[in-house]
Amino acid sequence: MIENKVVAMLLAGGQGSRLKELTKKIAKPAVPFGGKYRIIDFALSNAANSGIEDIGILTQYKPFLLNSHIGIGSAWDYDRNIGGLRILPPFTSEDGGRWYTGTANAVFENIDYIDEQDPEYVLILSGDHIYKMDYNELLDYHKKNNADVSIAVMEVPWDEASRFGIINVDEDNKIIEFEEKPDNPKNNMASMGIYMFKWEVLRKYLIKDDENPDSDNDFGKNVLPLMLADGNKMFAWVFEGYWKDVGTVRSYWEANMDLLDHNNTLNLYDKDWRIYTRSRNLPPQYIARGSDIKESLVNEGCYVMGEVKRSILFSDVIIEAGAIVKDSVILSNCVIKKGAKIYNSVILEGVNIEEDKIIGEEGDSHIYMVSDKNIIME
Amino acid sequence: MEKCLGVISAGNLENNFGALCIHRPVYMLPYGGRYRLMDFSVSNMVNNGIKTIVVYTGEKIRSTMDHIENGRPWDLDRRFKGLILFPPITHVYTSNKYGDIPQFYSTMDFYETVREDTIFLNHPNIIAKVDLKAAFKYFKDTDADITFIYKTQNDPWGEFVNCEKISLDKDNNLETMGMNLGTEKEFNMFIRSAFIKKEVFIRLVKEAIEKGDSDYLQDAIVRNKDKYKINGFEFQGHVENIRNLKSFYDANLNLLKKDIARELFYQGGTIFTKTKDEPSTLYTESSNVQNSLIANGCVIEGTVENSIIFRGVNIGKGAIVKNSVVMQKAEIKENAAVVNSILDKQAVIGEGVRIAGSTLMPYVVEKKQVIRKD
Repeated sequence: MIENKVVAMLLAGGQGSRLKELTKKIAKPAVPFGGKYRIIDFALSNAANSGIEDIGILTQYKPFLLNSHIGIGSAWDYDRNIGGLRILPPFTSEDGGRWYTGTANAVFENIDYIDEQDPEYVLILSGDHIYKMDYNELLDYHKKNNADVSIAVMEVPWDEASRFGIINVDEDNKIIEFEEKPDNPKNNMASMGIYMFKWEVLRKYLIKDDENPDSDNDFGKNVLPLMLADGNKMFAWVFEGYWKDVGTVRSYWEANMDLLDHNNTLNLYDKDWRIYTRSRNLPPQYIARGSDIKESLVNEGCYVMGEVKRSILFSDVIIEAGAIVKDSVILSNCVIKKGAKIYNSVILEGVNIEEDKIIGEEGDSHIYMVSDKNIIME
Repeated sequence: MEKCLGVISAGNLENNFGALCIHRPVYMLPYGGRYRLMDFSVSNMVNNGIKTIVVYTGEKIRSTMDHIENGRPWDLDRRFKGLILFPPITHVYTSNKYGDIPQFYSTMDFYETVREDTIFLNHPNIIAKVDLKAAFKYFKDTDADITFIYKTQNDPWGEFVNCEKISLDKDNNLETMGMNLGTEKEFNMFIRSAFIKKEVFIRLVKEAIEKGDSDYLQDAIVRNKDKYKINGFEFQGHVENIRNLKSFYDANLNLLKKDIARELFYQGGTIFTKTKDEPSTLYTESSNVQNSLIANGCVIEGTVENSIIFRGVNIGKGAIVKNSVVMQKAEIKENAAVVNSILDKQAVIGEGVRIAGSTLMPYVVEKKQVIRKD
């Protein structure tokens, strides 16, 4: 065992089916976010900024775009000679092979990879969440308590608590009970799906969990409750800050809109905690005479001649003169033709909006997701 | 182009750029919102299939090294071929000598060893998206020893005085080469890019040292023009010949013209540069932007018109920026006014300060200079 060494395992195989057309061709961690990022960039950048040198990325659902986005990890400085980033898809072996059946199973199948790194700790991350976190704070807390596992938790609104895995603790933040999506939650501390384990303990429980044919091989549902039942030392570490799990089209739209407030707590402009992503090397954006652009986030390669209010334009978007875009998220390579009016919409990559087409209306409470085939209202 | 070696060698025009070139060579001048001049040279070569590129850095090497790193932005961080930097070395042949001949001679071993048989010489202060594959084919098809790339430039107002001028006979072979004094309304401007056979290059450099008659390769070529087959390849696209402050300012603002921006940014492949991981640019409720090129990472709360804004610039509420070039991470505070100016990196224009130059002589604010109201 190499003392103090941390290996991160990033779960990036999620489908995110409630995001509908957004995840039709790509995994949820590959969904574009915030003008130029993909959701997985946040966890990857957090790991890089926290100084974690080894990271395994567990892919499964439609991984092509994710693989090409991550490449050899150079955007996050993970293209190393020693250690670095490994993409870990499901594989076959002499006794057959199988898809990853759950979050814990995905890590179980890669015990060999982790053993080779020989870490003292394993950090489990999810590629589905938008947040900035220094994992060293979690590690320090974990060491101080000499815990077997430490779980990052955060306060969620009471009315949403039943959507999450709720964690009940004693006065020392020692975990006494798990409630998976409870109808009547006892408190509003939700698990963020970020776990710091002692590797020797996790290793034992992964094997134990795998031996149970009735298990769903899920960390939250199976492995952690099993560890608690066996009396392991488990602590909750309280995180304060911006954190979003964009599960639905509406929450995806809202999370993007959060960024239009310059004082938002995610603060992408923080130079001490940059979010890195693969660069497309596009020229700057051009804002033409006669355009009207306010309260918006615009990326490289855009060409804006029309009106843009409270919206996010990803790269290479063209807004023709006379077009209006309000309260919307326009993904890369879209063209909004003249006279078109777009309100409260999420326009998927590469969609052309025809002349004079109107989607939604000002002050509408619905969200529209527009692909080249259909418009879904939510 | 496999057998062609790219060589970037810039002259010393730094004095023409005042404060902008105290810390950097001319080819490292910021251009077009997120680039340096040399990005256009290097990217065009890479996009045309040149795999080995040599850069004579000049003395102000720190800014060059920081930008180029190991050539990664251009995919030139190769084990085979790739990017090679030649910093100046003090040498019995180079000390106290001017010109590129001594520099080329100091690296003669390299030329004698490499497998490439053709050299593409390029001056990065001239921006032109030349189709190098077509020019190379012409060079090969005509079996020339040297092919100069030129543009027939219409110049009724004498804006191109001091540029290189060549004349060609009816078969496109070189007759003369010198400096344009504006005596003709139209002239053939040499855009300081040329293909040359490696053996001819080596011979010209060695002879120049032995005879002691030329400090510059261009002089050596003119002196020996009757011994070699030298012709011209016409380039018909847009050229920015950046040789002083005014042409640098104009070249930036020219990117606000749609056709020029399309050609320089997109034609024949994208321009690569060092990435900065800046987020998108945020426009607030009070922002008003017209006819401007804006890079990422900016927060724009004021008014911007006819300007080029580089990465990570902050423009405060009520501030006005007009006809200006604002480089990386400059800050323009609330209610300041910046007109016809060039702000170098990290310059700060304090609250309520007004600065203005003229379009003929833009006002230059130095790198990290802070201007405050008394």
